[in-house]
Amino acid sequence: MVTSIIRRLMQALFVILAMTVIVFIGVSVIGNPVDILINPDANQAERARVIAHYGLDQPLWKQYLLFLQGLLRGDFGDSFVYGRPALGLILERLPATLELAITALVIALVFGLPLGLYAGLYPGRISSRIIMSGSVLGFSLPTFWVGLMLVMVFSVELGWLPTNGRGPTLALFGVEWSFLTWEGMRHLILPAFNLALFKTSLILRLVRAGVQEVLPQDYVKFARAKGLRESRIIAVHVLKNLMIPVVTIIGLEFGSLIAFSVVTESIFAWPGMGKLIIDSINLLDRPVIVAYLMMMVLLFVVLNFIIDVCYTILDPRIRLDAKA
Amino acid sequence: MNQSILMRAAFALLGTIAIPALAAAQETPLTIGMSTTPTTLDPHEDSSAPNNATSRHIWDSLINLTGKSANAPELATQWKTVDPTHWEFKLREGVKFHDGSDFNADDVIASLLRAREKPSQGFASYTRSIAGVTAKDPYTVIVETKVPDPLLLNSISRIRIISADCKDAPVQDFDNGKCATGTGAFSFASYAPGSNLTLKRNDNYFAGPSHWSGVTLRFLPDDGARLASLLSNEIDIIETLPADGMARVESSGDLQIINGQSSRFVYLGMDVSRDASPFVQAADGKNPLKDVRVRRAMLMSINRPAIVDRVMQKNGTLADQFVAEGYAGHSGKVEKVGYDAAAAKALLAEAGYPDGFSLTIHGPSGRYVKDAEVLQAVGQMFTRIGIKTKVEVLPWAMYSDAYARGDYSVYFGSWGVNSGETTNPTVAVVATRDEKKGTGRYNGGGISDPQIDEVLAKASSTLAEAEREPLLEDLSVRTFNNLWLLPLHYENVVLGAKKTVAYTPRGDKYTLAYEVKPAN
Repeated sequence: MVTSIIRRLMQALFVILAMTVIVFIGVSVIGNPVDILINPDANQAERARVIAHYGLDQPLWKQYLLFLQGLLRGDFGDSFVYGRPALGLILERLPATLELAITALVIALVFGLPLGLYAGLYPGRISSRIIMSGSVLGFSLPTFWVGLMLVMVFSVELGWLPTNGRGPTLALFGVEWSFLTWEGMRHLILPAFNLALFKTSLILRLVRAGVQEVLPQDYVKFARAKGLRESRIIAVHVLKNLMIPVVTIIGLEFGSLIAFSVVTESIFAWPGMGKLIIDSINLLDRPVIVAYLMMMVLLFVVLNFIIDVCYTILDPRIRLDAKA
Repeated sequence: MNQSILMRAAFALLGTIAIPALAAAQETPLTIGMSTTPTTLDPHEDSSAPNNATSRHIWDSLINLTGKSANAPELATQWKTVDPTHWEFKLREGVKFHDGSDFNADDVIASLLRAREKPSQGFASYTRSIAGVTAKDPYTVIVETKVPDPLLLNSISRIRIISADCKDAPVQDFDNGKCATGTGAFSFASYAPGSNLTLKRNDNYFAGPSHWSGVTLRFLPDDGARLASLLSNEIDIIETLPADGMARVESSGDLQIINGQSSRFVYLGMDVSRDASPFVQAADGKNPLKDVRVRRAMLMSINRPAIVDRVMQKNGTLADQFVAEGYAGHSGKVEKVGYDAAAAKALLAEAGYPDGFSLTIHGPSGRYVKDAEVLQAVGQMFTRIGIKTKVEVLPWAMYSDAYARGDYSVYFGSWGVNSGETTNPTVAVVATRDEKKGTGRYNGGGISDPQIDEVLAKASSTLAEAEREPLLEDLSVRTFNNLWLLPLHYENVVLGAKKTVAYTPRGDKYTLAYEVKPAN
């Protein structure tokens, strides 16, 4: 177990290092951040001073080494645009993204699991067919369109919910959360549903497929023959056995909810990390881009590890040490 | 070389008009949907439009730059030039910062020097001529310039006056509110970066308290989000009303479209220096863009009224020169070139290109109002007179340094003439590129016209308005009668608002809560 964790950490470090190289080269190929950041009225001498201030007058390899040096001290550098430490900027936006992602995931689970189970257990019923066709829509409708429709219907026409933005926040464990206030909850509903729609459909279909695969198995027949209650058969023998692929998908999708909820964040003006990274890419704000991508690599590594741990709990045949 | 008494009297008059009716103050808040997001509240970090518009709510400057780019008194009540390089500013007495401390010359000195010394150099172009700032007495400041600088007042209007206590504060202290105390019409309440800024009315504002008890600036760069907020009555006024929403707003009984002309000038720049241009293939192997007849034919081929009307959906106004009528340097002697495809074809033939030539034109996408669409339309119109044109648009991040470097043959350019006069665009876009003098930074076509350079040098060091004005006009005439640039249009400022508010759009496109009035 311990060696496996260490091996994974080493892998993660290597991936992060590779990431910084790619991003450094990538951003420097696209264009010069100074041309975007600088006041157009500035003359050449003033431009040169700004370039020197950001350290962009150095050759790329030297910039990279300086960056690595800072990294050893836990310093990702100051954002070119915001003039503040890049890591701080990202962490500041993290709670907003996190609460949106978690809410969306909870919604996806609350709807996806039972509906999928139902559709799998009773595939012939009309209600099951309706659920399945609904999930096709959930899959194929583009997020931005659904988001705009939600806003049009629930905010503009009906006026039930606010159109966008994040509500007032309350501090919990020193972090500001908006789901603790009533207004905050109202602001959270639409973006969370928008984000959850695709995930709900995904989980629903996975669970349904799993149920149909597990049901004809001998151990389920045996459990029935033994006279076990139907609820126990479903909860213990069916659900537990179909959870492995579902857990994998939930884990990875949670990562992508955090890292790539850009579209929803833009439509609902949600001040999360997705908006920050898009702005940073548009402005070639290299320190923020690098810090963000490194955090995301770390996030996915951690998530994958948690998924693996869940496997061993769900299925004792899978050993963590044997894998990897 | 003192400023004329008449001029000062005019400014004093302006100052009194600006004071709103005090009795109107009520407990009504105002919410503005901004189309751009400021990066920080620190007013000296970065001189971008969203930052400057935001900081304008909390802080004042010595000079108030009006919506038409005129200099009006603000924290300075009057000013004069002692000699060509020394300016004396009389400060307004009795002004207090939001925290109750007094405003005086120390704050002015601290602010001007902080803006000059900031490592980000965001305000370098406005502080470049300032040699020193000293206090003659607590309410008189002397600014010494390195050379006679006719644009000093305009430059100083950009620099917000912060409390001297905050002169060493880092950016964070402004964002968390510790140093977000100015003398302006509104005081800081809370700031959520990338989301919103809430402000309270400053009841002791020297020009009279605002009508609005509080102001929320919401940063909504997404067009759909901004429009939805207006339609659902959450927001009183939004910037840059999306074209798709205009019909909806027009048909609504409670909403209105507010339209005004901005000072953002849009043009086509062209390679007029190289003998063979990278994106032109002419039969004779030369660069036809060097011939003024070809340039004129190209401008004649563009149906600019149609572009402004249809492509831009009236979000623009036809332009023939850098600045519109009423701004310093607008000249009646600039020859207007109308749309005439047949004559354009004839002129092209006269210049030796009866069969036209092949051309690729470049532009940014999503940076300016309908930029890619305008470029597409222009491309088709060129093709109609025989110039086989391909259109290529790039993201701003890739385009911005390439066009300035001169990578293209014909490119889409734009300049916000915020100084309200013509030396500002001429220095950057038309003047011969010269690293030492700092001219021609964005002269991507390699224009080099010694006469323009000479007039520009003279205009940049002449302080007397009467002598300066003809020089400014001369710059317009020389640039546009030679067609060094093909003028297209000025962008319009289009806002969507409830009918309960009234607003006069500004040339610099800022939306300032203090200037938003209740409609009645």
